[in-house]
Amino acid sequence: MPDPLHVKLKTLIVETLRLEDIVPADIPDDEPLIGGGLSLDSIDALELVVRLEKEFGLKIASSEESRTALASVSALATYVRAHAAPDRLHA
Amino acid sequence: MLERWITALRTEDAAAEPAAATRERLKALFPPGATRRMTQLGLTLGATLQPLAPTEDDTLVYASTYAETHALESYLDSFPSPSPTLFQTSIHPSSVQQKLIQRQQPVRHFFPITGGSTLPVQALLVALLADTPRVLLCGGEERGGWLLEQNRASDRTFAFSLALSASPADALARLCIEFPDTAALADTFPAPGASSPPSAPPLPLPAFFDLLHHRRPYTCLVSPGRRLTLTWTA
Amino acid sequence: MSALPPPVRVSACGALTAFGDESATLAALLAGRRALTLTPVHGRDGGDPVPLALLPGRAYDETLPPSWFPHLRDLAARIPAPTPSHPPSTLAPSSIPWGSSRHPVFVTGSNFGVSHLHAYRLHGDPAHLDYGTPFDCVRHVATALGWGSDVTTFSHACVSAHLGLLHATRVLAAGLADSALVFSFDFISPFVAGGFHALKILNADFPAPYQDRPAGSIGLGDGAAFAVLTRDRGAFVLAGQSLHNEMHHFTANRPDGAGFAACLAPLLAACADRRVWLKGHGTGTLEAGRLEATALATAFPAAPLVSWKGALGHTLGSCGLVELALATAALRAGRAPGTVGSTSPGFTDAVVFAPLDLAAYDAVVCTSNAFGGAHAAFLLHHA
Repeated sequence: MPDPLHVKLKTLIVETLRLEDIVPADIPDDEPLIGGGLSLDSIDALELVVRLEKEFGLKIASSEESRTALASVSALATYVRAHAAPDRLHA
Repeated sequence: MLERWITALRTEDAAAEPAAATRERLKALFPPGATRRMTQLGLTLGATLQPLAPTEDDTLVYASTYAETHALESYLDSFPSPSPTLFQTSIHPSSVQQKLIQRQQPVRHFFPITGGSTLPVQALLVALLADTPRVLLCGGEERGGWLLEQNRASDRTFAFSLALSASPADALARLCIEFPDTAALADTFPAPGASSPPSAPPLPLPAFFDLLHHRRPYTCLVSPGRRLTLTWTA
Repeated sequence: MSALPPPVRVSACGALTAFGDESATLAALLAGRRALTLTPVHGRDGGDPVPLALLPGRAYDETLPPSWFPHLRDLAARIPAPTPSHPPSTLAPSSIPWGSSRHPVFVTGSNFGVSHLHAYRLHGDPAHLDYGTPFDCVRHVATALGWGSDVTTFSHACVSAHLGLLHATRVLAAGLADSALVFSFDFISPFVAGGFHALKILNADFPAPYQDRPAGSIGLGDGAAFAVLTRDRGAFVLAGQSLHNEMHHFTANRPDGAGFAACLAPLLAACADRRVWLKGHGTGTLEAGRLEATALATAFPAAPLVSWKGALGHTLGSCGLVELALATAALRAGRAPGTVGSTSPGFTDAVVFAPLDLAAYDAVVCTSNAFGGAHAAFLLHHA
């Protein structure tokens, strides 16, 4: 049974970045999000950060921190669970 | 006199076509997935620039009055949570960068300029003073949304790219700027006390595009001391 | 590789920063002062604190008329009138405006009045639209300053000023002008700062250019400047100018630093007999700063490197010209400010943190970089 947060994050990635011909289930949990098979780059990462901040009420302070948070979908889920506003996490 | 010959020319007249339609029409010209962040101007300009195959040794001059209008409108509307993607793509000269970054194609001399009714002539002067064997001059606009409603955007989408060579071999046209009566004009323009300089017929970017798109000849004193002549040879 | 443009003289230049004119700015930088202060990024609407250096008393939020215009007018008042080259003339020199056919103006910038489009969108006042597009903004400035019609506008982010300088050089070399005015300005607003804040490089940390530390950050600053170029009159020489555009990525450079090296390579021969110091771009970002410092150390071994953006902030489209004016002021004074805001360790041993005595040097290489991997550099020395 896939982690619901992983599913939510993958859907958010496809929607925010307007990925064509990719469905959320295509995104692996543990491969690099940035610079990996999706061909996402640092601008995509920052775009995701804006969406994540709005969605989960968290705050990513620097580009270095965003790189760590967005290492993979699993890494992102761990980051969100650690930093999200409690009411946003379970919405 | 400064002159060069047009040895290649591509134009793209999307008129009032919606951006989504332009993307659908042109996306096959770009790598898979590459168009998701491209603007309408980036798509049309990229389509005209691609066949000219820019190289690092070319000079590239890019002219646009309003540049990435849609990206700018959307970026403005994304506040107070500004979109990084729209920030980047709204900055002049994004449309050229969108294409060349896709190709990972460096260019040594790149001159993006902006302006109004004298923009094409100014861009041509930059091009004609370049010291590289080949100069690529490109430009265009994209039709605006709410900025157009306020007369601060183009009402049509178009783009052009042309190659200028110092050699007339296989030329499509000759472009030159002459400087008549330069000495006489040196200290006398504009006249003191004049509220504005003698007006020259405007040649804004859309009109220049039409000359290229329809292969029309042109000769006119476009600004004080500058005569532009475009003569088609093929 | 194309040849360098011919040398051209700088007969006048001046700048305006948050510290004042170029003399006041030089004095402040030599004293190690920093103009950046933490300011809510959204202005009156609050937001995260970010380091900004605004002209004293200038409103950060968009106003009507623009709050920056009186400052620009004061700067423009310092520009010497064009000198006619065909005596005798029936006109007194002061009657010839900049922007006439033999004395063209090249305006260079990045943001111009774009924040007024934001203000229009927020408040609906159509008066903001008179300044919003680069064309409208420059037209407003040119009209208000009494310029003629020969005004060309270059807009290529943070290398804009270098393009204006290079094209002005070519116009002069071709005999199409007797003198050329390059004029540059970029003023910070919530709209401008918001974009950089979205890139996560403008945050609550003050910038420390070329300092080897865990996280990078930049500051932004107001800036405006002018330079009058002639073929043969002036105390300083722009002895070489170079450009390069990587077209690798919008916000990142080639990881091998080749883009930086490609821009510097054409200047090496011109610097061969010179003892140069280096004024780098150095905004405070980590990756680009490291690549830049390394490329400069490779191209110019043992040349000391400074950046002033840790004190003034990044003045964006005006930085090339602002820093040209500051470099000429430093050459006159015989002392160059160090990299204010940064401490050891630097990315390379060449980074200088304290003021530099210029007795051992006779030229400076000034560099600027921009989005899209754009690079620009020039060699400047006494005539």
